[in-house]
Amino acid sequence: MFRKIRRKFEGEPPATSTASGDSRQVLLAVPDPSRPVAIMSDRPTVVLDHVSKWYGDLVAVSDLSFSIGPGVTALLGPNGSGKSTSLKMICGLLGPSTGTVTLDGLPARGDPKAYKNLGVVLDIEQVYPYLSGREFVRMNALLQKLPDVDTATERALATVEMTDAADRKVGGYSKGMRQRIKLAGALVHDPNVILMDEPLNGTDPEQRAHMIRLMWELGQQGKTLLVSSHVLSEVERFAENIIVIVNGKLAAAGNYRTIRERIDNHPHIVRLGSPEPRKLASALVTLPQISSVRIDKDGRIFVETSEVRDFYRMVPRLAKEKNVRLTELQAADESLESVFSYLVER
Amino acid sequence: MANALWRPLPVFMLTMRQFFGGKSVWVVTVLAFLPALFGMIYWFDTTDNPPAFFLSDAIYRPLVIATLLPIMVLILATGALGNEIEDSTLPYLTLKPIGRLRIVAEKLLATLVVCIPIILAGLTVTYLIVFRGDAGQSANLSFLWALLASAIAGIFAYAAVFLLVSLLVSRALLVGIVYALVWESLLGRYLPGLKVASIRHYTESILVGKANDPDIALKGATGVASSIVVIAVVSVSCILISTWRLRNLDLE
Repeated sequence: MFRKIRRKFEGEPPATSTASGDSRQVLLAVPDPSRPVAIMSDRPTVVLDHVSKWYGDLVAVSDLSFSIGPGVTALLGPNGSGKSTSLKMICGLLGPSTGTVTLDGLPARGDPKAYKNLGVVLDIEQVYPYLSGREFVRMNALLQKLPDVDTATERALATVEMTDAADRKVGGYSKGMRQRIKLAGALVHDPNVILMDEPLNGTDPEQRAHMIRLMWELGQQGKTLLVSSHVLSEVERFAENIIVIVNGKLAAAGNYRTIRERIDNHPHIVRLGSPEPRKLASALVTLPQISSVRIDKDGRIFVETSEVRDFYRMVPRLAKEKNVRLTELQAADESLESVFSYLVER
Repeated sequence: MANALWRPLPVFMLTMRQFFGGKSVWVVTVLAFLPALFGMIYWFDTTDNPPAFFLSDAIYRPLVIATLLPIMVLILATGALGNEIEDSTLPYLTLKPIGRLRIVAEKLLATLVVCIPIILAGLTVTYLIVFRGDAGQSANLSFLWALLASAIAGIFAYAAVFLLVSLLVSRALLVGIVYALVWESLLGRYLPGLKVASIRHYTESILVGKANDPDIALKGATGVASSIVVIAVVSVSCILISTWRLRNLDLE
């Protein structure tokens, strides 16, 4: 089904609507089966070419093709969509069942030299609990065979703001601190390609803000970052481009804003409350933006609309005109799954 | 001094920290000195068994080589890489520009560096208890060297085998125990032909061959040189297969 979501996106800005004005024809991605989708691919550093991974009858990733270059790209998808499997194939921890993955032109699996320029933060809980934070980062520097291990270690610790806690055992760290020390270990050799699997998991708001700022800065420095997330709203804060994976398939890829717009235009269910629901409902049906209105037994109004931004703008004005008090106005189906379902079913 | 080893041998040093950060080293130490308790039985032995015979045929061969030594090595060897797989920490090593052979070799080295002194210390104490006043005699010392050489060969082979097992199966400790007790011990006893396919046979052959003591004998013993070659071939093969396995291992 997702093959229907196709529109050329190879360097040119994606259109937000077609000549006919039918928003359902606005397309996001280029899941062209014949070649990888290119995102900022003037200098592709990570290239997946028809990559699939299956376990017996279970297909985890299906015919995934894309290439990314410098900047921050988010790998977005619901839980279980194949994000982690894809990241593990990109860094060579998993071998694809079919297809190839290359990092800076080197095969991602089988040649340890490919890791000279790669930093990976996996979504794994454990970090050697018997090492201190400094020892862990230093070990990463030693394994990268850096000439000045101590300087690199201190720089990486400072980058993630963990210098003060560096002599404590990692086993006593909070999850957010473990995430940061893992990031320091991944950045210690100043790699050009950085893969991060759900790096904001377990971080508090302050750590999250710092991590997001750091990712943005690394992208600005010309590093290639691929960051997985299942939270659409947080992706907006650090990624210019997104790749959406649903059920192991490429559902959409391209500029964040365009895809966000597309998501905003999917049929939303909005819940409204009023002491006079029938009066408000009869006024709402006159709006061109809505496709249906219903009132449940508790008197709450549910409206389906494809133009949610216009709808949100119009409703208060309408209520004022009709002299009806509006007590509630909020999205009833904002779950990411509904958005992803919409993307793949179109 | 120890910190200076981090630079040339980071995986080895990490594994040493892993071993000494847990309980496995202490379990191995207790097991290694268990034969010393059995050695005290000799003080109350009313038969005329010579001490070399008692130590060899009542303690070392049936208890140490058949059971304790494989289990002690198993505990550390399967933990060296197996714990990293179980805890999902192995990517911290494999996603680095270092060869897989080096990872396997440093893990094996750490296992040997911990196992060999502890197990040899336990055997030496057992020897001193059994031989008591005669421990310093040159003929008895030759027996001790044979005992220790045999144990070193066994530790080397079992460490390589169990390191490989930990890369092949998820319940390496259980599989290793079954292998040690069934293959190395029981099957060899009931199907004598299988003895030549067991590490135990070659370690016993090294003991008997090097001790050159009329009090101890092994039916169908292989020569010392041949036994060392077999153990070396088994160990190197396991190291190479482990390297291949690590290179192709899917880490979920």
